[in-house]
Amino acid sequence: MMTDTPTLPGFISLQGIGKSYQLAGQHLSILNDVSLSIARGESCGILGASGSGKSTLLNILGLLDLPDCGAYHFAGHDIFDATADQLAAIRNQQIGFVFQSFNLLPRLSALDNVALPLAYRGVSRQESVARALHMLEQVGLAERAHHRPADLSGGQRQRVAIARALVGAPGVILADEPTGNLDSHTARDIMDLLLALNHEQGVTLIIVTHDAHIAERLNRQVLVRNGVVHEAECV
Amino acid sequence: MSLGVAQSLSQLLHEAFVSLRTLGKRSILALLGIVIGSSSVVALINIGHNAAEDAAMIFKDMGTDTLVAQFPPKAGSVARMPNSLNLQAVHQAVPGIAHIGAISSFSGPVIFHGRTTNAGLIGSTPGLKDAMRLVLREGRFLSEFDSGETFAVIGDQIAQALSAPGDPLRLGDRVRVNDYLFLIIGILQNQPRSMLIPVQINESLFIPAAGMRRIYSSPQVGSVVLRAAAGQDMERIAADATKALSAQLPEHTVEIQIPQQMIDGMTRQSRTFAYLLLALGAISLVGGGVGVMNVMLMNVSQRRREIGIRMALGARQRDIRNLFLLEAVTLTAVGALCGAVLGMSAAYLYAWLSGWQFSLAVSALPLGVGSTLLVGLFFGIYPAVSASHLQPVEALRDE
Repeated sequence: MMTDTPTLPGFISLQGIGKSYQLAGQHLSILNDVSLSIARGESCGILGASGSGKSTLLNILGLLDLPDCGAYHFAGHDIFDATADQLAAIRNQQIGFVFQSFNLLPRLSALDNVALPLAYRGVSRQESVARALHMLEQVGLAERAHHRPADLSGGQRQRVAIARALVGAPGVILADEPTGNLDSHTARDIMDLLLALNHEQGVTLIIVTHDAHIAERLNRQVLVRNGVVHEAECV
Repeated sequence: MSLGVAQSLSQLLHEAFVSLRTLGKRSILALLGIVIGSSSVVALINIGHNAAEDAAMIFKDMGTDTLVAQFPPKAGSVARMPNSLNLQAVHQAVPGIAHIGAISSFSGPVIFHGRTTNAGLIGSTPGLKDAMRLVLREGRFLSEFDSGETFAVIGDQIAQALSAPGDPLRLGDRVRVNDYLFLIIGILQNQPRSMLIPVQINESLFIPAAGMRRIYSSPQVGSVVLRAAAGQDMERIAADATKALSAQLPEHTVEIQIPQQMIDGMTRQSRTFAYLLLALGAISLVGGGVGVMNVMLMNVSQRRREIGIRMALGARQRDIRNLFLLEAVTLTAVGALCGAVLGMSAAYLYAWLSGWQFSLAVSALPLGVGSTLLVGLFFGIYPAVSASHLQPVEALRDE
């Protein structure tokens, strides 16, 4: 059920995106007129201080939140035209999320966590378990497949999360501070894994980080400051 | 591009069970409410059913074609009932009557081989056998030619009471009542008690009505038992028989009860009873349903983050809704099954304690289990829908 994408300018293309919240009666503008285009197979870092709006940008990129204005095309789909179900399907088939706090479901085993996205595609349980196990092998955790997330170390959890992000063969991985909760050695391993996926499998990689060392290893760096995006070629 | 994705049923069930297992104590508490509700519905329907069965049993052997006439004196009258009635005239006046017999009863000790027991002494006319559906185990009933004889037909229980091991009461034996010996010409079969007939058949000694004077100086006709021919309008026969009997009894009122009316009354009564019980069960079910809703709402609010993650992974609103709905229904289904077992046991126990025959009400299980599942569905919808309407970004933000 992979998507057949017409090639549009940019795999991901945002034009004039704005987003604001009403908080306690106050109008808070988070993103102003953001335009950004990311090609298939690129690796891109989104940098910015906390509160700069980079997480909001990531949520919009990941179709978890809708912008107030502008135009957003994701893999040829106009996001403003899509229904909630279509957005869910695009998330399911095109986007793999990796979160800072892993966000594994604590009550499911590592294997069931990885198999979960396939369940929402109607893949049979047998097949989704087989594919999940294969993916856990790729991240080097096959022997931990039946452990609960609580029984795994931080690095192992993040590997499970990456396996879950990849199991549906997405076009893009959106990672929000993927190494934020890990020690520096494990962080390097996780980054190596993500970059290897980007290089070897051509998965588009978008990483939100405040760590310049991580951003350096990516093709492109985008800086968010006060709700405005700047292209930063050298940080 | 096909954006239609669906989660297979087995996947859904698998997740619902994993989730319920981990809900643990809270789901057990919610279960308790459901179990009580569903078991009371099942038990109450069944108890109501058994009560109605028991009531119907009373009439079962009686049939609805039997009428009993009684004769209370008219106000201010002190006239006694005659010791016999012209039943032939009544029979002729009301051709719809198949059998007719009169009863004049008295009670006293019956003695056989030194053994004594108390019996109802029933002065009978020959038509009584068919009017009351008496069935003989041995011998024959009193005939028209026996009216002058000291013959008797004995009820099953009296016959047993007068028998001793090695010395049973047999046809041809003589029993003594006062100073008269009565020859036993028939022994009746054990017959169920009938509410309608004013005689305990098993505990009676039937003797010719004409011979009643031997043991009792002024016998009176106490009641008349009529049996209608097949396919007759009972109310019409009752009215006609009342008229014919009244002609012979100027000083007495003739009262005839129609069994169908009594049966209808009892049926109505037991139906009201069953509805009342059903309402009680329904109320406890609603209580259980509120418990389920409470647990599911708590469940949803504790799992907001999980809902967000699932949405990020591609769950649609309806997937989230189904997830929680299925959990609520699975929870109630487990409760309904426990309740069905518990309710049946309670109904069985109740029937046993009341000395009723236990029989399974066909509607009890499907109604009890079905209504419980509906309650689970109804009270599960709100939490499930509220979960599915969460925005992914808001749900994920929750810590």
